[in-house]
Amino acid sequence: MFRILAINPGSTSTKVSVYDDEAERFSETIVHTKEELAHFKDFTEERPLREMAVLNSLKKHEIPLESLSAVVGRGAPLKPLEGGTYRINELLLDDLRHQRLQSPHVSVLGGLMAFEIADSLGLPAFIADPVSTDEMHPLARISGLPEISRKSLWHALNCKAAARKASRDLNKKYQELNLLVCHLGSGITVSAHRRGRAIDVNNANSEGPFSPERAGTLPAVELIELCYSQRHEGHEMLKKVTRHAGLSAYLGTSNALEVERRIIEEKDEKAALLYEAMAYQVAKEIGAMAAVLEGKVDAVVLTGALARSEMLTGWITARVSFIAPILIYPGEDEMEALSLAALRVLRGEEEPKEYT
Amino acid sequence: MASNHNHRLLIINPGSTSTKIAVFEEEKSVFETTLRHSASELKDYGRIWDQFDFRKKILIEELKKAGIDPKSFTAVIGRGGVLRPIPGGTYRVGAKMLEDLRLAVRAEHASNLGAILAYSIASEIPVESFIVDPVCVDELEPMAKITGMPEIERDSIFHALNIRAIARAAARDMGKPLQELNFVIAHLGGGISVCAMRRGKVVNVNYALCEGPFTPERSGSVPLFRFAEMCFSGKYTPGEIRKKINGQGGMVAYLDTNDATLVEKRIAEGDDYARLIYEAMAYQVAQEIGARATVLKGKVDAIIITGGVARSKMLTDWITERVSFIAEVKIYPGEDEMQALAMGGLRVLREEEEALAYD
Repeated sequence: MFRILAINPGSTSTKVSVYDDEAERFSETIVHTKEELAHFKDFTEERPLREMAVLNSLKKHEIPLESLSAVVGRGAPLKPLEGGTYRINELLLDDLRHQRLQSPHVSVLGGLMAFEIADSLGLPAFIADPVSTDEMHPLARISGLPEISRKSLWHALNCKAAARKASRDLNKKYQELNLLVCHLGSGITVSAHRRGRAIDVNNANSEGPFSPERAGTLPAVELIELCYSQRHEGHEMLKKVTRHAGLSAYLGTSNALEVERRIIEEKDEKAALLYEAMAYQVAKEIGAMAAVLEGKVDAVVLTGALARSEMLTGWITARVSFIAPILIYPGEDEMEALSLAALRVLRGEEEPKEYT
Repeated sequence: MASNHNHRLLIINPGSTSTKIAVFEEEKSVFETTLRHSASELKDYGRIWDQFDFRKKILIEELKKAGIDPKSFTAVIGRGGVLRPIPGGTYRVGAKMLEDLRLAVRAEHASNLGAILAYSIASEIPVESFIVDPVCVDELEPMAKITGMPEIERDSIFHALNIRAIARAAARDMGKPLQELNFVIAHLGGGISVCAMRRGKVVNVNYALCEGPFTPERSGSVPLFRFAEMCFSGKYTPGEIRKKINGQGGMVAYLDTNDATLVEKRIAEGDDYARLIYEAMAYQVAQEIGARATVLKGKVDAIIITGGVARSKMLTDWITERVSFIAEVKIYPGEDEMQALAMGGLRVLREEEEALAYD
């Protein structure tokens, strides 16, 4: 049996889980109060505090440190790299310590904490399928403007995990299948997986369907007008398109449950139109990615928190079921995904990737 | 009841630096020419509308020179301009239409002169004048108008004239009424429109000026975040940025040419970068076709590829490989706007279709 500690830092919390093989021993979300975090300039200084909290959590749940087999941390927006489970080597550690990231993100503490805890115990430490997982085909990198090449920044951890679940349910290996995986959360990504590689995916901050909080693709001419009009400062505008657009801008809420309540209880037609329009745009993105796979699609996989909504998945299914069977894995369990990624490597089912 | 007397039509299609004219006897073009207007001839006109007298005068002269009586027509058809959003079809030119075009209510565009040229020549005969399927045809379903930002509504501006003409041709070739068919149609030219046509109506289409696949000279959709950063960088004026989207974007930005034939020559000579970019354009067109197929819930009777760039077998083969799983792919290369305008007029004159009123 392998016992795996998984660590996933968020902006104001740290999630901790221990898995015995595939079975969860415990999971805890440690909340860091504003007062606690106020002592630090930014998250880069929060590691000792969070690490202590993780160790306390293990103690509380009576998990002796010596019983662990490995520690896995959430991956950060590192340089573009192939998906998989990476053993934290000197090079990776150095990039994490020096914040060599595509954009600053608190998840960088995941790998750092995993390494510190594992190292003191002489255990291997891993990260898995970070958001910068990049397996894009060269054709997918071309945008239409030479100044901007398309980037692969997406929900790789959850989408790869959902793809593996789908593979298991289809009794095939992930590497033998072609899958379209759609993560439905506050951001939405649709990825085309050809035999285990995500050869194209929309960047949720910049492209594709609108989502509860993000604008998705916008007509460029109008975008120029918005950018050059005096109404928006640059910083504010960028925040707007990634945090305060989509459902939130149209309906004043990004909460899907609230939107569904308005549709059902209040017969709110505007809410119904906008909510369905989101499904409509998701379906279009799935259709676009089906063309990437030349229609050779074994399944369309819907996952993420919003995949719990039967209304949404029903609308999407009606539009894309001509492409392939639909498999729905609602929610996202990053802790399980991390633990399983480490487990595959510990069991020798998969070679760990070397960070170079 | 279809009338029997012979229809003789004058077709007028004003472009930014030329006016194309044609004379049709029924479906047959008996005279066709392009009047070119040099920059120096046009430079004194502040607005496009002001070019009316100038263009009319040389048009009449050209007809007379060719021995064609300007009063010999049974109707005159002009290319439609950028009017308010309207359903597709053939429209009778009237006062409200001319007023909106004079004021350029939506945009300054050379095709805004089509209606007034047609009307002015027709009323001297006097016969009726029409426009057919202008770029502002809007039959979008409500969900297609939603972007991801309330400030921005998706407009329907596309190659309606050629797309609707080709749809009719395809329906005829398939032996079914257009009203019983669903198509995904991609017009590939300097701009690219990919539409979902449900029983004759274009219910979804990319805003061809700045959305969808990149084209020989347009960027298509751009990754929003970094594009916005470019806008805010202070390095570009709005005009420069607009040029990158329309005119100097897409293939020409990568390969320094908007000429597909030249690019294919470079590919044949082993230029791998040219090949990558050219294939990426096909890749993006295929993605757009796949997206439109979901609008029709996969119920697609045919995928149609048309427009000048559809003459490239390399490009249409790449697209076909990726989308033939959806439906049969039919290629109708080229575009014949003059024929499409004539046919639009004839359908009304033959009473196969009612002329629509713009008001």
